[in-house]
Amino acid sequence: MAIIQTIDLTKRFKDLVAVDKLSLSIDEGEIFGLLGPNGAGKTTTVLMLSTVIKPTKGTAIVGDYDIRKNPDDVRKLIGICFQEPKLMWVSTPWDVLNWHAKVCGLSTRERKRRVKQVLEHVNMWDHRRKRIHGLSGGMKKRVEVAKILIQRPKIAFIDEPTSQIDVVGKHKIWNMIRELRDEGSTIILATNELFEADVLSDRVGIMHKGKMLVCDTPKTLKDSILGGDIVEVQLEKEVTKNVLDELKGFKEVVEVVVVKSDDLRIHLNKVEKVVPQIMNLFLNERLPISSIRMSEPSLDDVFVHYTGLTIEEAEQKSKSR
Amino acid sequence: MKKTRKLLLVIERDLRRFIQFKFLIILRTIWFAAQVAFFGLIASRMVVPELADIYFEFYVAGVVIMMLYSASVFIGYDIFEEAEHGVFEYLLSLPVSRKELVLGRSIGGGIRSFILVGPIIAITLFIIGLANPLNLLVALSALFLFAFGVSGMSITIAVTLKSGDRFDIFMGALSAFIIRLSTTMYPQAFVQDANQAYAAFSQFNPVTYASDLFRWGTGIERYLTMSPMPLAPIIGIVIFFFIFTFVGVTFYEKRLEGGGWQ
Repeated sequence: MAIIQTIDLTKRFKDLVAVDKLSLSIDEGEIFGLLGPNGAGKTTTVLMLSTVIKPTKGTAIVGDYDIRKNPDDVRKLIGICFQEPKLMWVSTPWDVLNWHAKVCGLSTRERKRRVKQVLEHVNMWDHRRKRIHGLSGGMKKRVEVAKILIQRPKIAFIDEPTSQIDVVGKHKIWNMIRELRDEGSTIILATNELFEADVLSDRVGIMHKGKMLVCDTPKTLKDSILGGDIVEVQLEKEVTKNVLDELKGFKEVVEVVVVKSDDLRIHLNKVEKVVPQIMNLFLNERLPISSIRMSEPSLDDVFVHYTGLTIEEAEQKSKSR
Repeated sequence: MKKTRKLLLVIERDLRRFIQFKFLIILRTIWFAAQVAFFGLIASRMVVPELADIYFEFYVAGVVIMMLYSASVFIGYDIFEEAEHGVFEYLLSLPVSRKELVLGRSIGGGIRSFILVGPIIAITLFIIGLANPLNLLVALSALFLFAFGVSGMSITIAVTLKSGDRFDIFMGALSAFIIRLSTTMYPQAFVQDANQAYAAFSQFNPVTYASDLFRWGTGIERYLTMSPMPLAPIIGIVIFFFIFTFVGVTFYEKRLEGGGWQ
């Protein structure tokens, strides 16, 4: 069941169309990855859905409420973890989180318990009384993430949760996001990290220049690239024409590249299904294999496939927009 | 959660932040002490000797109102600092209605001003003396409304201009007019003598209402001309408070959104 439905959602800043007629449906309980380079319109979308900024055209239904007509009701359902930590330099992590928990309606007992628990979880308990201006970028980001973990909103917008976070911290935050979903929150994860979107999201929507290019599960998106899977086979003997013809006969095989006479690169779909059949073919034809390597397409490949650009190139282009 | 609780939480946040700016409180107190001890004492020697003490008391009361005004305006600068740090967007994303947010911040700004000016009012009462406690209570109540109104005005102007530079210039110009064309430093009769247009502006100026009421509350106004119950200034302040605290909300609700801050 859809918990968020956008209808031609559009935001224009003077001449720039930041979000262009976005129509999107997000199901309750899923982690939805909003993927795209910086400047694609992800943050603007999040800000509109959370009623922080008003759409220029179109609207969205969040929960059962229209973001234009019932913004106060929408805000009771949502929580945001912002891309840039929104913290005043004079405050302390404890002050920030304690006040946030109060505003979100937690009882005194529950508030104290959760603030302590989450501060410990994000390794900020020992730093809870330090002024924000004395914290590193990663620490500030952890305090920002902690807000939403304490709040546990019905719908959580999480914008670039692991930017400025080290590798160990990233995995920890990913686990926390999964826990948040398991506790009943729907998560909208805006990110430009393809791997992050891949490992966390149930579905991914790829945005580029304010438009939604494609939206589906990471697996379906990867499978949508014809010949996206690659099998590299190193043989002990030269390959025969008969084997090459048989390989090309598989309906999943898109292309067979003969790198050398004993070295093949096969572009195909559904690698997990076809590889046993390819192995059997080589064995039947008495062609011993010295090595075999398989690789699946990543969301990077999906992004390149739909935009013709790598995510870095797309970011460069959006800066010059 | 009840609306009043949310309102109180917004107020609490502004008060907590204010207390963190200890240096500001110290600076303002030093400024007040210097204005009274140097400027007030010296300037009161410029009037005829038999009125020097009276003018000194008049001036001290005026400085209190100037401080109350400038402390109440401070909330607008806070909003720009928050916009710079992106905290404004965070506040707009909270489960608090825009009305509760703006009303809470106006009231929070007003209370902050009173926390700052409270000790100064106490010193002033010590210097001037207290003629009628009931009058003072009425005057202080009106001054609360004045402080909330000025905070609301500051927020309205900040969210309308959405530019720190423009806000600085506008508030500087507004303060230049609203303070100087009021009775903070000189009685209305002298403004009248100087220029009719000045007098017209001064007469319908909320700072004049606040200054006159405070002097009436402390008993200084006995030296000046004012009816036993200063209805006009009280009504003026109530209208000023309503315009910027309630009617203004509907106006700046349209302007309140995360983007466009400079």
